[in-house]
This record gives sequence, structure tokens and C-alpha cells, in this order.
Amino acid sequence: MTSPIYSLRQVRQAYNGRLALDLDELDVPERSILGLAGHNGSGKSTLLRILAFLEDPASGSVTYAGRSAGTRDAALRREVTLLTQEPYLLKRSVLGNVAFGLRLRGEESRERAAEALDMVGLAPEKFARRSWRELSGGEAQRVALAARLALRPRVLLLDEPTNNLDRESATRIKDAALAARTAWGATLVVVSHDLPWLLAVADRTVTMADGRMLPAA
Amino acid sequence: MDYLFDGLLQAFGLIFSGDPETFSAVWATLLSSGMAMAVILALGLPLGFLLGHARFPGRGAVRTLVDTLLSLPTVVVGLLVYALLTRRGPLGDWDLLFSIPGIAMGLTILGLPIVVALTATAVEGLDRRLRHTLLTLGASPGQVLATTLWEARFSLALAAVAAFGRVATEVGVAMMVGGNIKWSTRTITTAIALETNKGQFALGMALGVILLGIALAVNLAVAGLKRMARE
Repeated sequence: MTSPIYSLRQVRQAYNGRLALDLDELDVPERSILGLAGHNGSGKSTLLRILAFLEDPASGSVTYAGRSAGTRDAALRREVTLLTQEPYLLKRSVLGNVAFGLRLRGEESRERAAEALDMVGLAPEKFARRSWRELSGGEAQRVALAARLALRPRVLLLDEPTNNLDRESATRIKDAALAARTAWGATLVVVSHDLPWLLAVADRTVTMADGRMLPAA
Repeated sequence: MDYLFDGLLQAFGLIFSGDPETFSAVWATLLSSGMAMAVILALGLPLGFLLGHARFPGRGAVRTLVDTLLSLPTVVVGLLVYALLTRRGPLGDWDLLFSIPGIAMGLTILGLPIVVALTATAVEGLDRRLRHTLLTLGASPGQVLATTLWEARFSLALAAVAAFGRVATEVGVAMMVGGNIKWSTRTITTAIALETNKGQFALGMALGVILLGIALAVNLAVAGLKRMARE
């Protein structure tokens, strides 16, 4: 049995007095794929922000790789990365965007960025120099995913990454995300409304409603 | 009307012949404005970022104060800085009254609120997803600050240009703190005021043409930067 990379206990989050997340227990094994399904407002994105260490829960404990963790541990955000459904691209070229996180770490960037662009199906020689303005919605989403894949994160969190995308872009993004586990053993937590896909690829799929996990069917 | 036309012709003569008195005033203006802008940008950009980015008690009151300081009358700033720098004032020992650095101090008070307010507005206007994106890519707090300012670079350049336009063309501080000393602290604006009073229209108009040129360059820069910031 693989040890959990995340262990959440009694985690609750509320905004303006409204309970957004109410989890008694959640373990995510390392190198696994956890699928999160549920209607809008069911707490999936809140859970991802907590897992990404972008916000702390109002109460409860979050353990990452065996130790208590939260937003105070900025170094953890170099292992865990989140792709939102409408990602923001920096006002620079495609290569500048994909290599940005590597440059923050002082790492050699060009080759890794090119590999990441290949993974999402964007030919580096065609796209690397392109401005962020010249991308379609699907291309922008793939560039944003490439920027995260280039970091070879230990945990990749995806929040509805294929929403409103054409079929080719959606397929590329799904394949690239799954390749992250195959290539370097990344743990994936994926929020998606594409339930058949989630059920096909995830080791475990959890359905959420009103901030709670529904019992497995 | 002939004297105006004659004055204009003589003005161009002074400019193109490199008249030393004219260019002494231009140099004093650029030097005092340049010194002030260095301090304004060094203080104003981080302060504006903090005001636009951070959430702290009293932030609304600070914002109101900064916005109020945008319309500070130049003669009030001149009076304040004069009172500070005069021999009896708390900074009298610095011996800055009637000097270019003294003028720059007053200009800094005039221009700083512009850069702080416009930087805060630019940072507030950035896409809310930017901060989360930088954090999820592993940026440290310092890297978040630097990248955020870079993302807003055209708006920040606009703030700098607007502040330069204000400090280079004001007359109150330069007159009261600088003392309008020929070959030393006489700036374009104080020279225009003096020469016009003396009936020396040619020199006044020559300096006016140069000042209009600076104002035109500033406005063209503002228009260009606004267009780039919108894109």
C-alpha cells in the first residue's frame, strides 16, 4: 500500500459564514489519480486550493508527505502546482510562460520547456516565440499546462482543465496530464465534469455535494 | 500682435543658437526633476504596490489621503519645504534652501502621490488570477512583487511619465524653494515668470516653446503607454 501524500482530517472551510468544505477524512496515496466530481459549488475547487497550499482551512489538519502543512510552507508550492479552468498567461511569449517557473527556480529552462510543449501537442518550433495574445482558448490552456508540466511537479492539481475546450485540446490535455504520472510518478487530483473519463483513469473517484464527500456507490 | 510674432522668432533664434541662459534653465529643470523622479520611483513603486496589493486596517483611509495629496497646491508644498529648510527650520542645517536638491525635495512631495496612487490603481486592476498563478508556479513573495510590477509595466511607466509631467512644469516649489537664482536654480518655469515680468518676451517664449515641447513629449508618451497598457 502506497503511503498517502496528503492526509486531511476534519477539514472545514467557510466563506462569509457559509460552509464551503466539510471533510472528515481524505487520504491521497502518492502516485495515484484522485478524481473529484460534483456540481458547481460542491467544494471541489476549495479543496484544490487547500491542497495547493493557496489557502488554509478554517479548522482541521492537512498533512503532506508525513508532516503538517499549509500556506506558510512556501517551499511546498515548488512541489505542488494547480491548473485552474481559466488559467492566466503572463504577458510574454509562449516560451516565456512555459519556462517561467523553471527560471524562478534558477533551472535551465529551454529544453525542459520544449519537452513540456511537446507533451501538450504544441510544436515548440511553431509556438515557442508566439505571443500570449496570439493563442486560442485551447492553446492557452495547453500552454498553461505545459508551464506546470515543465516543473515536473510531485503533485499536479487540475481544476476542470478541459472545460469549454474543443475535442482535440481536451484530448491533448488529458493525455499530457496522465503522462505526468507515467513519466515521473506525479500524483494527480483532477476535478472534471467528464465522469466517464474520470472513472476510466482515476484510481479513485469521489463525488462531492455541499462541501461533503458522498459515500461511494 | 507683432511683438508676439517677433518674440517667437527670437525664441527660435535663442534655442537654435544654444543660448547659455536658456539652456541653463533647461538643465536646472531636468536636473531637479531627474533627482526628484529617482526618489519618487524608488519609494512610490513599492509603496503603490503595497497599497494596491495588501489588505490592512486603515487601507481605505490611506488611499483617500494619497488621492487627496494628488491635488496638493504647489505653493503649499513650496511653503512647507521652505519652512523645513530655512535656517530656523528643523532641516536648516542641511543647507538645502535655494539649491537644486532643495527643489528636488519639494518636487518629490508633489510627484510621490501620483506614482503611489497610479501604481496602486494599476496593481488593483491586474487580473485577480495573476497572484494565484505566480504562487502555483512556485514564486517567492519577492518574485511575486517583481513579476506583478513587470506585468503592470506599461501602467507603471504611465505613472512615471505623469509624475514627470507634473514636476517638470510646476512653478511654486521651484520659485519658493529654489529662489530663482540665475545660472543656478532658475528653472524653465521660474525663468518664464521672471522674464515676462521684465518684458523679455523672447527668452520667456523660447523657454515656453521648450516647455511645450516637453509637455507634448510627455503627452505622446502617455497616449502611447495607455494604448500599450490596454492591449
